[in-house]
Amino acid sequence: MSRPARLAATALAVAAAALIAGCSSAASPAPGPAPEAPPGGEPFLATSMVTATGTWAVAVMGGSVASHNNFWQLFERPAGSPDWKLVTPPGTPDNGGLVLADAGGPSLITAFRPSQYLTYTPLALTRDGGQAWASAGPLDGALANVPDALTAAPGTGRLLALLTSGRAEIATPGYTRWNTLASQPALAATRAGRRCGLHDLTAAAFSPAGVPLLAGTCSRPGTVGIFAVTNGTWQAAGPSLPATLARQAITVVRLTRTANGTVALLKAGSGPAASLLAAWLPGGGRNWAVSPPLKLRGATLSSAFFGPTGAAGVVLNRNRAETITGAGAGWRSLPALPAGTATLTPGPSGGFDALAVHGTRLTVWQLGTGSPSWHTTQAINVPIQFGSSG
Amino acid sequence: MPGMNSGVNVNDPIVVAAFKSALLHQGLIALLIFAVLGLAWISVRAWLPTSSPAGEQPGLGGPPAPAVAEPAWRQVLRIGFGLIWVFDGILQAQPKMAIGLPSQVIEPLAAASPRWVQHIVNWAGTTWSFHPMQAGASAVWIQVGIGIWMLAASHGPLSRLAGLASVAWGLVVWVFGEAFGSIFAPGLTWLFGAPGAVLIYCVAGALIALPERMWDSHRLGRAIMAGLGLFLIGMAVLQAWPGRGFWQGLASGKPGTLAGMTTAMAQTPQPGFLSAWISAFTTFDEAHGFAVNLFAVVVLTVIGAVFLSGQRRLVRPALIAFTVLCLAAWVLVEDCGFFGGLGTDPNSMIPFVLLATGGYLALTPGPVMAAKPATAAEPAQEPAAAGWRDRVQPAFVRRSVATASFRSVAAVGAVGLIILGAAPMAAAQASPIADPILAESINGSSAPLNFRAPAFSLTDQHGRTVTLASLHGKVVLLTFLDDTCSVDCPLIAQEFRQAGQLLSADTQRVELVAINYNPLNTQVSYIQAFDRQEGMAAVPNWLYLTGTSAQLQQVWRRYGVAPAEILPAGSMVGHGDYAFVIDQAGHLRRELGFDTGPGTQATKSSFAAELTGAAQQLLGHS
Repeated sequence: MSRPARLAATALAVAAAALIAGCSSAASPAPGPAPEAPPGGEPFLATSMVTATGTWAVAVMGGSVASHNNFWQLFERPAGSPDWKLVTPPGTPDNGGLVLADAGGPSLITAFRPSQYLTYTPLALTRDGGQAWASAGPLDGALANVPDALTAAPGTGRLLALLTSGRAEIATPGYTRWNTLASQPALAATRAGRRCGLHDLTAAAFSPAGVPLLAGTCSRPGTVGIFAVTNGTWQAAGPSLPATLARQAITVVRLTRTANGTVALLKAGSGPAASLLAAWLPGGGRNWAVSPPLKLRGATLSSAFFGPTGAAGVVLNRNRAETITGAGAGWRSLPALPAGTATLTPGPSGGFDALAVHGTRLTVWQLGTGSPSWHTTQAINVPIQFGSSG
Repeated sequence: MPGMNSGVNVNDPIVVAAFKSALLHQGLIALLIFAVLGLAWISVRAWLPTSSPAGEQPGLGGPPAPAVAEPAWRQVLRIGFGLIWVFDGILQAQPKMAIGLPSQVIEPLAAASPRWVQHIVNWAGTTWSFHPMQAGASAVWIQVGIGIWMLAASHGPLSRLAGLASVAWGLVVWVFGEAFGSIFAPGLTWLFGAPGAVLIYCVAGALIALPERMWDSHRLGRAIMAGLGLFLIGMAVLQAWPGRGFWQGLASGKPGTLAGMTTAMAQTPQPGFLSAWISAFTTFDEAHGFAVNLFAVVVLTVIGAVFLSGQRRLVRPALIAFTVLCLAAWVLVEDCGFFGGLGTDPNSMIPFVLLATGGYLALTPGPVMAAKPATAAEPAQEPAAAGWRDRVQPAFVRRSVATASFRSVAAVGAVGLIILGAAPMAAAQASPIADPILAESINGSSAPLNFRAPAFSLTDQHGRTVTLASLHGKVVLLTFLDDTCSVDCPLIAQEFRQAGQLLSADTQRVELVAINYNPLNTQVSYIQAFDRQEGMAAVPNWLYLTGTSAQLQQVWRRYGVAPAEILPAGSMVGHGDYAFVIDQAGHLRRELGFDTGPGTQATKSSFAAELTGAAQQLLGHS
């Protein structure tokens, strides 16, 4: 090999090594299954619901959210009682999460979000406050991973379900025949959808009059993506927001029906500048009332709930909680939450209950009206069968 | 990486025993091959003494005409890499290897590589995991065969072919077994074995395969050393590249890249003194990471530059330094290659030393070697005009056999050894289903039964009533599935679906039946949803039966399966996994444990094979 050839070859070797080093210096993310729930901090299924006969709360227990050794549990506190009890429907694995729908009176429908190899959604119905459960459905698809993915119409018992596929399916009692009410692409293609720039669906509800409502995220800033279907046509049905939020992307985090009307929780913007707003639409009314924004300042939302008359509360990270009693009121900080708080509920006699989870133990903390601190009222050891779904 | 890992325990006694048995049987066949060849050789030489060319002394040496002496560099490469192949083959015979190679060797190596590499490697890993015994044994015999072949054949086409065989199999191992030597993964470094030990085998094999006219060329030596020098300089640049963790012994309290690797190495099972040496080196590197890396960069650069220069007076001390460096890295960084985990080879340093030594010898005129007597493997001794037509003439073959040397016979035996390993694997590869031994390793074998299967009358997925009597005349493969179970039941359904495909020619004679194993979700709508989920509508002879909770519990009792247990707190219904084989007359012939185990592609296929085999036995197909 001649000298120039050697020099050229050396340069080539150095360049090749540099190229390899450049290509291989950063570790590529290891392939793996998608997480089963949004990462901590995103709003997900831990929530509570107040019905005519009691208060219900959903929390994940056992292992971490991303493992198969977590089990979602349903607790109920009958109206007038201070005590919670475990009422998780038996017979179906619930590692994917539980979603509740108030079916009126003492009836509640629970959907089991599929996990592992299961791809459809079993349903269970109780008519006695969770004492006994009967199988219903199933819903032939995977329920969306949002707390308002399932809702029941007042009076008729129709169920509206939001699927991970972006379809909204509707069924009459019995719940074995499901029909597609809408899909995200179809809704996005409507006039109202185009004006919003709808790019995903995040909640489903029925209005007090039984009108199906769908909600999602709009790509058009300042627009709230809530839609109602009347005479087969989808129309925008969300609130108008103050001009200060005109440049913010809006996501409907929660949408549900209360005794007084419809209530929504909105997230405006993203990152440290994001804020939350509650919005109320009185039954039969046309105009929404919107709360002042709650600036998150980098905090993340882990649970949200609504009281029976439209009060709203949010659980944030770092043991923070904020509540608002209704339209015209302002956000109020609660005393620092007990460690492990999964969700909040309205208390049995005013105030709040905080349900805190540590492994298989649920501790109920109570904050009396006007009380400055939380105190323990109850502890429930949940007999989780570890490994039974792994 | 889906499919690569069979998921079966690497120490599973059934698989280990079967692997040992396969090796033993094939080892006996290998001995037989050598014995037959030896006897044939001795006999032919005894019967055809005159067939040797005039003046030739019959014996091991063959024709007396002098052959071209094999140069020292080639001897070093041929014998050195021949021994390494034999050693690698012996390592492949470790009992854990049959199950463990995909999960403990290939998968970890490929884990950090890009997805396309994983995709390629996954194909081979899946193939291996479907047929672990055949694959494990084939690797043993192919590698031992190549090694013996290289050791035995010193001259002629047979020797050059051994080099080519080394290249071919080396590339297979490098791509599929070493995930391209992890050259596409982060953290690539010469110290850890880049660019993959087997790629060096390939280079050596290619050199061994060179025609004899190139043996004496000094340009060859310069080319080998220049290539090696360039490679080392490139590796020095890579070692010096910032941001790869080699300059830090400790980074944020954690070991740097090199210390992290050696820490892990020190923790693997190995002789205590070796572990102590590696731990001591790790401690030293953690304290002086910059200096260690600087030393490595400088030494690699200097040695590479000297090799590239081709100056013989400089290459000799550089070779000594390189050998010392390689041995140090081999012991302190590579853990001798085979101590940590499931070792498959001695890693890259010994091959590097052999290659560099071979290159140096090719560069340096050595003493003239005494020419060895030629053999039948040396066509240089045959008349130049002899074409292939002449070579297949009986007279030529007789003369070749009669004059063949012991080495030639051994080389032919080694080729037989390779075929012995490759043929069963090729045959297994032609089968799309996994070895039933995986299923047996999970649930054990079942004893034959022969009594009337308990009757049932239930509702199928279409709402029709189905009784066992209505299935009379067909082989019934029966199982129990919870329609909302999220793990085992979907896997069992897939096993049945696969068995249905394998039995597609017997659709009219076999019925695949599942009975609901959930006492709460008993509606037809649930079993229909389950069927849609598992794609069972595509299986024409599939029946999924349900009934009232009382009806179902009666059937479970009759079949002796554990009653479904309603567990609290969000668990699925507790149940066992079973499958029953019922013959055409309604007699229960086998009860199979059907715990799905790890539920991998290989085990699913293995269960499907087990079911298929049971049905075919009753159909008289086997």
